[in-house]
Amino acid sequence: MINAPLDALLKRAAVWRARSVPAGAAASVDRAVPSGWPTLDAILPDGGWPLGTLIELLLPQAGVGELRLLLPALRTLAESRPAEAGRRWLAWIAPPHLPYPPAFAQSGIRPERLLLVTTGSAPERLWATEQALRSGSCVAVLLWLDAVDDRWLRRLKLAAEAGGALAVLFRPVGRERDASPATLRVALEPTAEGLDLWVFKSRGRGPARIRDALSS
Amino acid sequence: MTVASRRARGRKPDPGFTGDLFTPAAAVPAAPASASASGLARARLPMRLPSPRQLWLALELPLLPLVAAAPAHASAGALVIVETEGAARLVSACNAIAARAGIRPGLRLSAAHALAPDLEVREREPLAEARELKRLADWAFGLTSFVSLEPPNRLLLEVQGSLRLFGGAEALLARATAELGAQGHAVALGLAPTARAATWLARASPGTVIASPATLAGSLARLPIAATGWPGEVQEDCARLGVATLGELKRLPREGLARRFEAFVLGDLDEAYGQKAAPRRRHQLPERFRERLELPAELGNTQELAPYCEWLLGKLGEFLRERNSGVARLAFLFQHREGKPTCVLLGRALAAADVEGWRGLLRERLMRVELPAPALALTLRSGAAVPLSGASASLPGFGGREADQEALALLDRLRARLGENAVHGLCLVPEHRPEAAWRAVRPALAVPAGVAGPAMLPELARPLWLLASPEALPVRGGQPRHRGPLVLESGPERIESGWWDGGEVRRDYYVARTAQGARLWIFRERGTRDWFLHGVFG
Repeated sequence: MINAPLDALLKRAAVWRARSVPAGAAASVDRAVPSGWPTLDAILPDGGWPLGTLIELLLPQAGVGELRLLLPALRTLAESRPAEAGRRWLAWIAPPHLPYPPAFAQSGIRPERLLLVTTGSAPERLWATEQALRSGSCVAVLLWLDAVDDRWLRRLKLAAEAGGALAVLFRPVGRERDASPATLRVALEPTAEGLDLWVFKSRGRGPARIRDALSS
Repeated sequence: MTVASRRARGRKPDPGFTGDLFTPAAAVPAAPASASASGLARARLPMRLPSPRQLWLALELPLLPLVAAAPAHASAGALVIVETEGAARLVSACNAIAARAGIRPGLRLSAAHALAPDLEVREREPLAEARELKRLADWAFGLTSFVSLEPPNRLLLEVQGSLRLFGGAEALLARATAELGAQGHAVALGLAPTARAATWLARASPGTVIASPATLAGSLARLPIAATGWPGEVQEDCARLGVATLGELKRLPREGLARRFEAFVLGDLDEAYGQKAAPRRRHQLPERFRERLELPAELGNTQELAPYCEWLLGKLGEFLRERNSGVARLAFLFQHREGKPTCVLLGRALAAADVEGWRGLLRERLMRVELPAPALALTLRSGAAVPLSGASASLPGFGGREADQEALALLDRLRARLGENAVHGLCLVPEHRPEAAWRAVRPALAVPAGVAGPAMLPELARPLWLLASPEALPVRGGQPRHRGPLVLESGPERIESGWWDGGEVRRDYYVARTAQGARLWIFRERGTRDWFLHGVFG
């Protein structure tokens, strides 16, 4: 067989296949959380939002669908890691508006799980995010910020690796060209029909565009 | 073993028993209830006069529900505090304006509304009342060293030793009345050699003083039965017997009373007349740590000051270990040569005794403190020390496990650096007005079980983002716009509420879609053409 050496090579654990989709969901449960949107899960490594690393979402403005995009994953995280087990909080660092508790309760996320940190200065936002990511008591840490030094982003990525939480940085569009150590970078592009996702950096695969990602 | 079986064995002791352990019970005639048995047994005790060394001051605080639920008396109009009893809503306290309108505690809310149409109504807050009573108990330590809490709304003070200090009973009562008045409280007082008698006096003839045990029985005899606060059926029974005062009740044969009434009737009477001891639980003033340290030299740099701060923390650690207690608040005061001392406050979500945790918070804070002048001396003060075993009981979910400690430590660190007001938890409030349907809370306390019942959730979808305050939308041709024309997707959902507290809203809510594809939650003020943006579905 011509492919035998190749097959043998691919079986080695050190070799990653770019388009590999995990065989069992259980194996990937700690590396990723399903986004809940099939077209998106299909192109994400490990079939969902990666955990314990930095994700960057770029938005033209608040409210284009960024929370609806994340909500299924947040709910899955909140449900699969009960507060009693110590992983208590979904931390919101300097969000543009109030995450409205009744809406979260309607979506199945208890408002008591939300931890809201409101601070104006960028260094304090970054510090608070690092603390929340490192502490291991948050299932998700969401940060809103515009300009940021990529050394800080590296620190956040290290903190995320230490804590294993879902770490999402929201930034305005136009920052695509800034260097970023984020593992996954996605631009949200609202259209009249729905929300398009432009996945322009993803571990092990090229850029991809998903049309009307939230319709399914 | 049940009471009945024990009594059966008491009457016929096992053959193995030699001593007759149960003689009194065996001697009881055919008495139906164990209550009368104990009453009879007591009847044989010798008459004991109350100890002349005790004098009890009862403070009854009828306005406690009002002060607790409306601390500032902010209302300019009539205000009542109501509680629900069965199907009825009854007034439990009211302010002076409501009282002038004829409203009294015990009145039905509907009747109160008839007397004062623009009445402001608030629910009773039992937790706040308990806190207020405790606060007043701390205040009462200014009058005596023995204070006992009698929830819901009474304090008992043993004041025999304080009379000389304050210049006699009358002066003491005047002082208590004046100081409570300054805190917004009305008070009914009674002073008597027994706590029970003082309580009854406060209820039935406020201001009465029975200074000597010799006059106790005579004064009590004139009190009406209602002074006891016994349940209605007991008072009715007394009336049926033709008994109107305590003296008449006391003259009835004891055996008859024991048979007719439950045990507490005789028990209370004995307590009031000083024939039965009634120990009260002493309220403890919380302990606080306080230590001052003179610095060897004037130090202006917080890094140089850190070791001295930590030395004081070590002292605090010893103090807390000895008492098996923790504290939740610390204040470091840096004294300067002149001017006010600089105060650095540290706080934790839960009272804690671990010096290491405090040290970490201190370091975090000291980094960002600038002293206006060098410090000469340093004082460490703590908040109230609370026993550690009880401290975590009020926080379900925070059982003191390691993971919980981590969650608390995160909160403490965030608060130490960003301030108390930068870190919030969120919870639901059962309220129709969207802006009032949530509340920011201290995060550690935001886990009360079952607080977010699905019953209180609105049926229609709510936006994930809510604006801090509604934002006026431009209108063209009667249609609202937001970066272009809006398409109304669903609605209206009519929300009309809050007319009773001045925050009235009359709105029709719609879900609208912008040209860019964002979905907005907008409303029109009813009866106007004004449109507002209130939320974004995000």
